[in-house]
Amino acid sequence: MRRFFHHFFFPHQSNNHRAKALHPDAMLVYILALALFNLSFRYVHQACPSVLGYATDIRVSELLNLTNKERASLGLSQLHLNGKLSEAAAKKARDMFTQGYWSHTSPKGATPWEFIVSSGYEYSMAGENLAKNFSNSSGVVSAWMASKTHKDNIIKPGYHDVGFAIINGILDGEETTLVVQMFGTSEKEDLVAQKTETVSLGMSTDTAGNFLAESLTQPTDASKNLVSSLTSVINTPKINIPTITRDIVFIFLGLLIGILIIDGFVVFKKRIVRVAGHNLAHIMFFTALCVALMLVKRGMLL
Amino acid sequence: MKKQWISIANFVVLAVILVLTVFLFWQVRDRPSMQILVGVLLSVSYVAWGIIHHMMTGNLHPKIVVEYLLVGCIAITLIITVVWM
Repeated sequence: MRRFFHHFFFPHQSNNHRAKALHPDAMLVYILALALFNLSFRYVHQACPSVLGYATDIRVSELLNLTNKERASLGLSQLHLNGKLSEAAAKKARDMFTQGYWSHTSPKGATPWEFIVSSGYEYSMAGENLAKNFSNSSGVVSAWMASKTHKDNIIKPGYHDVGFAIINGILDGEETTLVVQMFGTSEKEDLVAQKTETVSLGMSTDTAGNFLAESLTQPTDASKNLVSSLTSVINTPKINIPTITRDIVFIFLGLLIGILIIDGFVVFKKRIVRVAGHNLAHIMFFTALCVALMLVKRGMLL
Repeated sequence: MKKQWISIANFVVLAVILVLTVFLFWQVRDRPSMQILVGVLLSVSYVAWGIIHHMMTGNLHPKIVVEYLLVGCIAITLIITVVWM
């Protein structure tokens, strides 16, 4: 065991003065293992998504609460959850999946405002925020707040109402969780809001979802069903793909950099002359790769 | 002595290439397909740097070319793994 360990990680006569883990055949094994890992993950995910999948917990109640918290921190008025805007958001989300686009405007040219109007919300001012592939509600709102244009929507003092839709589906062949947030101001809706204000006051995070269902009694039954099914996306697979992938990739890179450091140190100390690439260059390259991979994130905004 | 200076200059060039490509990677952070493209660019640049560096220092060997190619392939596989997760 000890001999194998030495042979694999340290430059020695037995491995031609180059750690076996850095030999071309070992590197070829890494490439094949990584490719196999990718393919098997895709296969297992498709076969058993409850075992290997994307952990997601996004709820309208939390999105509303967090959005209003951000506004409250700036002394702005609370946004009221509006059934018609939620219906517009739901229609938009469904349209994105059916037509396969990730944009504010559909390939047929439909703008967010058309969805809002078709849901019966007569706006004087409106806005839309989109997000996809975030794992939780706070991640979505934090990302929106970190982006100037999205933040501008959230903290615009002129908005009175907000609507949300959260939906899971396949977009461009990739499993996607879409979040659509629509803002609006309507003089007509303000009159309705004044009547329901006593209900929305003191509304807790837990009851916000129920409030959404209640507020949907105004639109048609079909639209009620459409929106009430889009108030949350909660997936709790046994193994979370992003976490396990990152863990495996960074442990592998860490080990590789460690072996390169040990190998380079021993060769330098013993003044061994051999035919091999520069360990220092490989270390710099893999470190840069580590930094680049840390910048990869699943969640995206539009 | 001359070889040493060539080596130092080459490593400075490598550092610049790596910093620039990581910056480019960050710039395209919202476009996964572009991230993969930049990752391939990073790997190809590194393989090219390795070959040119060993050629300039006079110790280029087919074994070394294979090593740099494999390192580049490992990087591309890792980038695809993480970006497509």
